[in-house]
Amino acid sequence: MRNIMRVLLATLASALLLSGPVAATPAKEAPWLPEAAAYRLTLFLGNLEPLPWDDIETAWTEPYRGSEFSVGALAWLDRKSDIEPDGLLDAIMREDLQAVFAEATRLVALRIEENLDRALAAEESATAQQAVRTARELYRVFEDGIAAADPEAARRIGLAWLELNSSTGSAGVLGAGATSADRDTMATARAAISGYLAENYLIDDFAPRRTLSALPETAVASGRTIEVPPSLPPGSDIFDQEPLPLLVLNFEEQGIDETDLPLVAYGDMLFDSAQIFGSPARDLGIACSTCHNRSDVNQRLFIPGASHQPGAIDVDGAFFNSIFNDRRDDPLDIPSLRGLRFTGPYGRDGRFASLRDFTRNVVVNEFGGAEPTPFMLDALLAYMLEFDFLPNSMLTPDGQLTEAAPEAALRGEAIFNTPFAGLGDRSCASCHVPDANFLDRQAHDIGSVAPAYEGARAGALDTPTLLGTAYTAPYFHDGSLPTLAAVVDWFDETKTLGLTEAERTYLTAYLETVGAADEPYEAFDTENTTFRLAFSELTTFASTLDTLLPRRDAEHILLLTDTVAADLSADASTMSNLAARPDVYALAENLAEVSAAVRNEDWEAAGASWSAFKAEAADIEEGAF
Amino acid sequence: MAKHLNRRTVLLLAGASALSLASPLAAQNAGLRLAFIPQENPEKLLGDIEAITGWLASEIGVPVEGFVTIDHAAAVEALRNGDADISFMGALPFVLAEAEIGAVPLLSEVYRDTPSYTGRIFVRRDSGIGALANLRGRDIAFADPISESGYLYPLAEFVEAGLIEGPGQAEVFFGRVYFAGGYQQAMQAMAEGLVDAAGASQYADLLLTPLQQAEVTWIAESEPIPSHLVIARPGLDAGLQDRFIDAMLRLNAPENREKLRYLYGPDGYVRADGAAYDGVRDMARRYGLLE
Repeated sequence: MRNIMRVLLATLASALLLSGPVAATPAKEAPWLPEAAAYRLTLFLGNLEPLPWDDIETAWTEPYRGSEFSVGALAWLDRKSDIEPDGLLDAIMREDLQAVFAEATRLVALRIEENLDRALAAEESATAQQAVRTARELYRVFEDGIAAADPEAARRIGLAWLELNSSTGSAGVLGAGATSADRDTMATARAAISGYLAENYLIDDFAPRRTLSALPETAVASGRTIEVPPSLPPGSDIFDQEPLPLLVLNFEEQGIDETDLPLVAYGDMLFDSAQIFGSPARDLGIACSTCHNRSDVNQRLFIPGASHQPGAIDVDGAFFNSIFNDRRDDPLDIPSLRGLRFTGPYGRDGRFASLRDFTRNVVVNEFGGAEPTPFMLDALLAYMLEFDFLPNSMLTPDGQLTEAAPEAALRGEAIFNTPFAGLGDRSCASCHVPDANFLDRQAHDIGSVAPAYEGARAGALDTPTLLGTAYTAPYFHDGSLPTLAAVVDWFDETKTLGLTEAERTYLTAYLETVGAADEPYEAFDTENTTFRLAFSELTTFASTLDTLLPRRDAEHILLLTDTVAADLSADASTMSNLAARPDVYALAENLAEVSAAVRNEDWEAAGASWSAFKAEAADIEEGAF
Repeated sequence: MAKHLNRRTVLLLAGASALSLASPLAAQNAGLRLAFIPQENPEKLLGDIEAITGWLASEIGVPVEGFVTIDHAAAVEALRNGDADISFMGALPFVLAEAEIGAVPLLSEVYRDTPSYTGRIFVRRDSGIGALANLRGRDIAFADPISESGYLYPLAEFVEAGLIEGPGQAEVFFGRVYFAGGYQQAMQAMAEGLVDAAGASQYADLLLTPLQQAEVTWIAESEPIPSHLVIARPGLDAGLQDRFIDAMLRLNAPENREKLRYLYGPDGYVRADGAAYDGVRDMARRYGLLE
C-alpha cells in the first residue's frame, strides 16, 4: 500500500517507458537505475543529427535530470559493479557511435548477468529477491525492443522473471511463513533470460545500426523492418506545469458558452490533440497544449537533446521531423500565446505575417503532421484568436498604471518612458508601447543573439509583449535571463543606461507590475480538480458532434472521437473520485462506439451512441473529480 | 568534450560519496533509532530519512537516527536485538513481530480518511473473466507470500467463495501461482497478459499506465485490512514513546503535511488501535503463520 500511496501523491504512475497511448496524459515513469538511464539516453541522443557527443558523455557521468540517484552511471557502477566501463569510455572518447552502442549494450547486459549471478548465489531470499529486482529493472532497457521484434520471446522472458522471483523463497518474519528457494527452478528461469541476452545483447560484433534502438540482434540481422514505438529518454518531462496557468478566453469572459461556438470548440480540441502531429509527437501524446499550457507556457517541459533548459525546445531539430531538421542547436524558450491576435507577426523573429501560415508550419513542418484541412486551420485559428491577456487591475487598458500599483512601479514607469542615449535616444516604451499591449509589432536587433557567422545580420527578434510576463520566466528568446531584474540589468549593462541601483529596482518593479495578473493560475480544490477541468473540456469538445454528425463529416468526426475517447480514458487515471472511474471509462466507450459506427457509415448508430454519451456525461458530471 | 575521458577522471568529476544502506547507525544514548523498509530507491529513501529524522529530532528533543533495512523481517530483527527502537511495518509482519518479540503498535497510517484498505483480484477487461470461479486452472500473480493485501486477503476471497479449501490449497485451484515481488510487478504481469489475474491492494491499478488502467478491472474485494503502522520494540521508554507519537501526530497539521511524503506518503497518522488488527491475527493463524 505504501508504494501505491506515494505514487498516488505524484498523481500518476507507470513502470513503463514514457510512451504509448495517443493521449495528452503522459505517464509518470518509475525511476531508472543510473546505468539503465544512461543507456536509454545514449540510444536517444545517438539518433540525433548532429550527434551531441557532450550530452552522451554527460549521460554516463552525471545523474539524469530529475534522477532520484545522487550519482551518475559510472560512479554508480564503480560502487555497485565489478564491470569495467573502459571500453565504453574509450568509444565515447573516439566518438565512434557503433562502438558506443556495442559497448553500452554489452555493459548493461553484463550488469543483468552480474545481478542474476548474485541472485543465484544468495543464501537468503531477501538478498536473492533484491538482486532479481535489480536485474529486472535493468532488463527494462531492452524490453520495448524485444516486445516489438519478438512478442513471443518477450512473453517467455516475462514469465521467466516471474518464475525466478517466485522461486527465491521467503524468509518470512522471524521464521514464520518461511519457504526455501527452489534452486533448480531458479536456474532454469535464469537460463531462459541469460540465453536470450547471450544471443542478442552480449555478442562481440553487432550489425551496423542506422538507428540505435533496443532491438535484439537476431531481429536486426533478419533484415525485417520493425518499428519500435517512440519513447522519450529518462529525464524527459512533458507534464503540465504546476501551478497551471489560467486560460482567459474572450467569449467565455462575455458569458458565451463554448458549446455554442462549434468551430472554436473544435479548434480547442485540435489544440489538445496529438493526432494532428506526426510521429513521434503523436505517439508520445504531444499536442500544442503540451508546450502552451492553457494558452501560456510550460515552464517544466524538457526533452534531452532538444531542450537546453526547462521550458525550452528546439522544434526544428532532429527529433520531431527529420526532414525539417535545420541542424542548428537552437532551442527557444516557449513563448506565451496570450493575446495572440495582437502579437503578430509570428515566430520569434516575426518570420510569419500570417497566423494561419505559422500554424500550418507548426503542424506540418515542426511536428511532421499531415496537411491540415482548411476546416482544421479555421478551427485552430478561431480558438487561438480567443486567447486574451490576463486581467491586471494595476494597469489601465491603455497601459497606464492604476492607483493599485505600488509606489516603486510608479517610479519605474517614469524610467520606462525616459529616452536613453544607449537606446538611440529611445525609451523602453518606444518598442514596448504601453497603449499597444507593450509591443510594436516590429523586429529589432538588440544584441541578444550571438552572430551565427561573421557579418551576419540575423539577430533581429520580434518585440515581445510585457503583459503576463511575471509568470513566464525565464526571459529572452533563449531563456538566458532568469528574472525580470536580470533583464533590467542586461539592458543597463549592454546599453550603458547608467541606472542607479534604486532605479534598477524601480524599473524592475514596473515590469513586474505590468507583467502581473489578478489571477494568474487555475484554482483547484478537492472537488474542483484537474480532472473536472479536463472532463469539462473534453465534453465540450465532443459537443461539436452536434454540428458534425448532421453534416456526416466523417474525417473530422473521427479525429474528434479518437482524440476525446483516448483522453477521457487516460485522464480518468488522475481522478481522486476512484469510484466514478468505471463510469468515465464507459463514457469513453460511447465515443469509441460513435467512431466505429461512423467508420461503418452507420449514421443512425453513431447518433444513438452520441445521445447515450450526452445522457451519461450529464449523470457523471457531479462526481467528475 | 573531454578528450581524456577515463574511469578515474570520470569518477573524480562525479564526486561520488558512498552511502550506507543497510547498517544501523552508531548507538545513541537517549536517542531514537528508526528502521525504514525500502520501497523503491533505497538511495532516495536515505534523503527522505535525513529530512524526517531531522524534523523529529527537533520536535522530540533527542537525537533521531534512521537506517534502511533490507525488508520487514530485517526490521523486526533490528527491533528484537535493539538496533532499532521504532520501525515502519506492514500489518502482517506486525502481528508476527508482536507475537514473537512483543512489538508495540504506536500509529496507523491513514489513507483517504481511513486507517484501512482492501485487497482485490484484478483481471483484464477483455479477458472474459467475470467471477473468481472463472480463474480455475488459470494463472495468477500475487505480490509476496508475506503480504496481507498482496496475498493473504485476496486469496481468502477464493476460500470464502468455496473455490479453495484453505491455505496451502491454492495450487489445486489455479494453474500457476506466482509471487511477482510487489504490487506493481503483479499488476504488470496481469496487464501484459503474462497471467490471468493479480491479487493486490485496492489501489494497485494506479501503478499501471493510464492506458492500462482503462484496460483492467477487479472482480473481488476483500474485507477491510488495517493499514500499515509504526511499531516500537518492547521496553522503549514510555515518555520517549509518547513524545514520538505526539510529534508524528503533528504531521497531520496543515503546516506539516508536506513532510508526510518523506514517510511513504500517507494522508496522516492516527494512534494505533491494537484490537483493529485482530482480523490480521486471525488471518495469520489460518495460514499457519501464528499459533
